[in-house]
Amino acid sequence: MKFNFNLKNLFLNLLVLVAAIIIIFPIFWIFLMSLKSSAQVMEWPPVFIFEPTLDNYKVLFDISVAGSSNYGTIRINFLEPILNSVIISGGAVLVSLIIGIPAGYILARSNFKFKEDIGFFILGFRFAPLILVIIPMFYFFTKLGIKDTYFGMVWVYQVITLPMIIWLTRVYVEDIPIELEEAAFVDGASVLHVIYKIILPLLRPGLVGASLLVFLLAWHNFALGLLLASKKAPVTVALLKLLNPGINFYPVMACGLVISMIVPILLIFLGQKHFVKGLTFGAVK
Amino acid sequence: MIKQSEENSLKNFLILPSVLVLLCFLFVFFYGVYLSFTDLKLGKPTVNFAGLKNYIYLWKNPLFWKSTKLTVYFTLVAVIVQAFIGILLAKLFSTKVFFAKIFRPIILLPLVLPPMSVALMWTTMMNPERGVLNYFLSLIGIEPFMWISEYSTAMLSVIFIDVWTYTPFFTLIIYAGLLGVNQEMKEAAQEAGAGAWITFWKIELPFMMPYVLIAAVFRVIESFNQFDIFIGTTGGGPAKATTVYSIYAYIQSFQNLNFGRGTAILFVNWWLVLIGALITIKLYQMARKRVS
Repeated sequence: MKFNFNLKNLFLNLLVLVAAIIIIFPIFWIFLMSLKSSAQVMEWPPVFIFEPTLDNYKVLFDISVAGSSNYGTIRINFLEPILNSVIISGGAVLVSLIIGIPAGYILARSNFKFKEDIGFFILGFRFAPLILVIIPMFYFFTKLGIKDTYFGMVWVYQVITLPMIIWLTRVYVEDIPIELEEAAFVDGASVLHVIYKIILPLLRPGLVGASLLVFLLAWHNFALGLLLASKKAPVTVALLKLLNPGINFYPVMACGLVISMIVPILLIFLGQKHFVKGLTFGAVK
Repeated sequence: MIKQSEENSLKNFLILPSVLVLLCFLFVFFYGVYLSFTDLKLGKPTVNFAGLKNYIYLWKNPLFWKSTKLTVYFTLVAVIVQAFIGILLAKLFSTKVFFAKIFRPIILLPLVLPPMSVALMWTTMMNPERGVLNYFLSLIGIEPFMWISEYSTAMLSVIFIDVWTYTPFFTLIIYAGLLGVNQEMKEAAQEAGAGAWITFWKIELPFMMPYVLIAAVFRVIESFNQFDIFIGTTGGGPAKATTVYSIYAYIQSFQNLNFGRGTAILFVNWWLVLIGALITIKLYQMARKRVS
């Protein structure tokens, strides 16, 4: 690499650095905040160097700490919403994979009437106004008695996960040469056999990336959990509740924020390539 | 052979479970539209068809018009600012300078965080008394700013948060578009004596435009429906300064328990989304034509 030291280069490097700091600083600041005591967070000017404490994380997770900490008797068991989020998002992805992979395969490979219309209909869910669905959904959930159940939540999360899984499967299958399947069909293999024994192993790397991305989108969701669940509410809903006690409680909320943000950041490391494709919904090839 | 073709038609049924699940949602959507023509109130035993009553109520309500303005204003300003900064960042990160290479993966970061976490993160930083943003302002001698806590600045502050979160979406898409800019055309233009600016305006920008606009389609739709960032920062306040449609509908439905009105607001919003998206798609098609 030619090291080209001139003014323009320096200036561009500086601009990139400023942009990177603007992106990173807020996240870094929240991480610092999660390690402060509630007295430190009230200090002015804000402290950058201090003795870090893990007490806030204890308050967040350990119910027995309630009352003995300087936050009074506020009881949080943050493990519960984390588990809820994992179960709901993970369950939703799993269900979507089971019913979505065959659908994506058919959309990629077969030709039938209305195929493109069905494809467009599925894609259209990316544009669905979620809140307009939630209000009637609230009504139905109350009537059916599936409010605040994992079953209801996993089902309603399909509106986020299923279209993505079908669409990404379709894209990935179209990248696979068709000859392999044709040979298998000539040998008399059934469709399901072809999907599970031939296509699935070839798709695996792509599908793992797709599943991580879709899990992430489910992890992001707030509105569905806010209105359709209470005890089974996800992390995002639990976080909002941590805002209520006020500034001296910020460090504990910051711990919750750090946890809610670490999961996606870990996921990016696992599947960055697929994320760009999925986040931009194929606008980026 | 007969078995083969039978199976061929049968295999298309594998798409059915997915389609059925999604049709349920479509049904729920239309049921929501139907509810907007009823007087459904939670806790009220009967549901009656109310015709246009909810819509007439909204038409006559100044808050509805205020909310309309806020929703459109939020979407327009946020998307346009994001597009501009998105183009700049894409250009910046596509330069070959050292830091651009190192920091490229960081662009993805704001997009992968839960919007609710992002909203709460900024809420703590925008705190008027103890927030770190006011500390930075004080360093350069600017008076404390009220951010999301004051009527006149609340909406701009939320737009600021939205811009921080979603500008990378534009950057990612435009960056991919820039990779496809025809290098020969650029070189030909430069050889013909065109400066860097002319090359950018005449060749790169028209080439980028379709990518900018396809990103805008997604952002327009999602901005009209933005809910998390408002709830996590202002909750629609102060004094209704940020009561966009989604918040207005939420308040009508779950605080006043008036589901009919809530769904009516959202159905109006749905039409605005459609119009906004169609206009952006039209612009996209025009930009495509210009390139080819």
